[in-house]
Amino acid sequence: MTVTRRVAFERVMVRSFRNLASIDFAPAGRLNVIAGDNGQGKTSLIEALYVASTSRTFRSDKLRDVIQEGAEQAVVRATVLGEASGSVPLRHEQRAVVGPRARSFLIDGKKPQRLSDYAVRTPIVVFHPGDLELASGPAARRRTLLDRVLLYLDPAGSEARLRFQQALRERQRLLSERGTRGADLDAYEAVLAQHGARFAQGRQRAVEAVLEALEPAFRRMAAPELPFRGAYVPGGSTDPGAFEEQLRARRERDLRRGAATFGPQRDELQLELGGRPARSHASQGQQRILALALKLAELECVRAASGTQPILLLDDVSSELDPARTGAVYGFLRESESQVFVTTTRPELFVTPGLEPAERVDVTLRAGELISR
Amino acid sequence: MLPEPLRRVVQMFARLPGVGEKTAQRFALQLMSDESLASELSRELAALVQNVRPCERCGNIAEVDATGAAVCGICSDPRRDGRLLCVVARVQDLIAIERCGVMRGRYFVLGKLLSPLDGIGPDELPLPALDAKLRADGVEEVILATPPSVDGEATALLLGRELAHRGIRVSRIASGVPHGGDLEFADQITLGRAIEGRRNVDSVG
Ligand SMILES: Nc1ncnc2c1ncn2[C@@H]1O[C@H](COP(=O)(O)OP(=O)(O)OP(=O)(O)O)[C@@H](O)[C@H]1O
Ligand SMILES: [Mg+2]
Ligand SMILES: [Zn+2]
Repeated sequence: MTVTRRVAFERVMVRSFRNLASIDFAPAGRLNVIAGDNGQGKTSLIEALYVASTSRTFRSDKLRDVIQEGAEQAVVRATVLGEASGSVPLRHEQRAVVGPRARSFLIDGKKPQRLSDYAVRTPIVVFHPGDLELASGPAARRRTLLDRVLLYLDPAGSEARLRFQQALRERQRLLSERGTRGADLDAYEAVLAQHGARFAQGRQRAVEAVLEALEPAFRRMAAPELPFRGAYVPGGSTDPGAFEEQLRARRERDLRRGAATFGPQRDELQLELGGRPARSHASQGQQRILALALKLAELECVRAASGTQPILLLDDVSSELDPARTGAVYGFLRESESQVFVTTTRPELFVTPGLEPAERVDVTLRAGELISR
Repeated sequence: MLPEPLRRVVQMFARLPGVGEKTAQRFALQLMSDESLASELSRELAALVQNVRPCERCGNIAEVDATGAAVCGICSDPRRDGRLLCVVARVQDLIAIERCGVMRGRYFVLGKLLSPLDGIGPDELPLPALDAKLRADGVEEVILATPPSVDGEATALLLGRELAHRGIRVSRIASGVPHGGDLEFADQITLGRAIEGRRNVDSVG
């Protein structure tokens, strides 16, 4: 798919977000280099941009962790410019307000029908040090990536995922409180199977898209002779009937284990290098390359599904990669049309001869304050 | 800091859906400054709880008659087709369907849905009352109009299976495109669900 649209943050206002008390930032259209020593707030700024555009954080489980200590609520407001070739650019505003209990996410001052509508409004991809575990860590890491792609690729499948998860909790409660028999258990399993099968269909589509993009991304980063293979090992079924049967047959086991043993919550995206599972056998360097390739694949999938060049957030990438890989990433950045935000403790390493001065903004964070350079 | 009687009223208002502490306080203070409104409201509320109760047959709201019985306008309307029964979760849903003007049968209000997380199982559903309604009206077909949530779907499935055992024809409302015409205004997910849940045109009744 040819992509002719792009999005870019035009203005960002951050209040009481982690160690950022008050920041107003007007980023450049192409490259934004956020410098600063350790612990000054670089990741926090990246996280604020991510929360404003997706309503989620990549850093902790609980969104309320972002509220600055002693503050009532964290607020991020972003004006986003959407440009499509041949038409007038359109602006929209996304505002995230996070309190200890209540939170609100508004697009142009209005509450979107679903949170997922908010999450896809400004296509964005983040790469942070935790992502280096994408290849070496547990399968849940890879499922999270697949579900990010699902959000753009198949909104109905993504919605089925939420319902599936709720039905999963209800079935487990029924099993633990009323045992392995009951008319309501039958009913919840039927509902669970319905949504689970639909979600599994979405997962399958997401896997296909990611694997298709992963191959070239991996080649780009790695030695071309290294044989690479990706495979999907489904944990559930796309057929509601078969799904329901499995649930029924596993009631005893699921009760003992305290969790359902069948379903897409057990999907695995298996990656092999040289015929061996990457998770247990690849070298650390190879795992990093794979992680990076997975991220590039996510970027490509989001781009294709949304028809928009996503914003790219890169937190501390160069400190985690060797020079050759860092070079490959920068080469990629130069080609891509994305608006990019990079954080670094060593801004002198970023030389961008191809960029006009107006296309690049450099800022430094010191104790949560933004200083322009 | 508020006088006790006022504080109690504020607390009661705050129990209403969509009313927070601040609004509750505004309501209470307004009533204090408008004495006639306050006394009329207390009289009307007393009359309401005395004269309006859930319908004994279906759970809809009903006025208490001279004999002390509460039967709603729909259950007592002889022109309604008793063979067709629409099961809903809440009175609000009944009102919404009634407003469409296409339902020629009667209703049954469950008042609650299955909800394992809240400890609501089949025994907590008003199944004996539903049974009584089925027999009394000679119901032949039931439309299950519980909401398209996980609990709503599970409740519909449970009821559907029970009713099918007794040879009653059961259908489920389609969750689909909101009316008002253009598909382009339906959001992606609703539209997607409507297309995936499509029925053969022969079977659309
Ligand atoms: N909720 C919060 N309230 C106040 N301060 C916080 C909160 N959460 C984190 N911090 C602090 O904010 C500071 C900045 O953290 P951040 O992760 O943004 O730094 P960084 O610039 O990315 O550092 P590094 O280069 O080490 O990655 C840290 O000192 C951290 O302890
Ligand atoms: Mg950091
Ligand atoms: Zn009635």
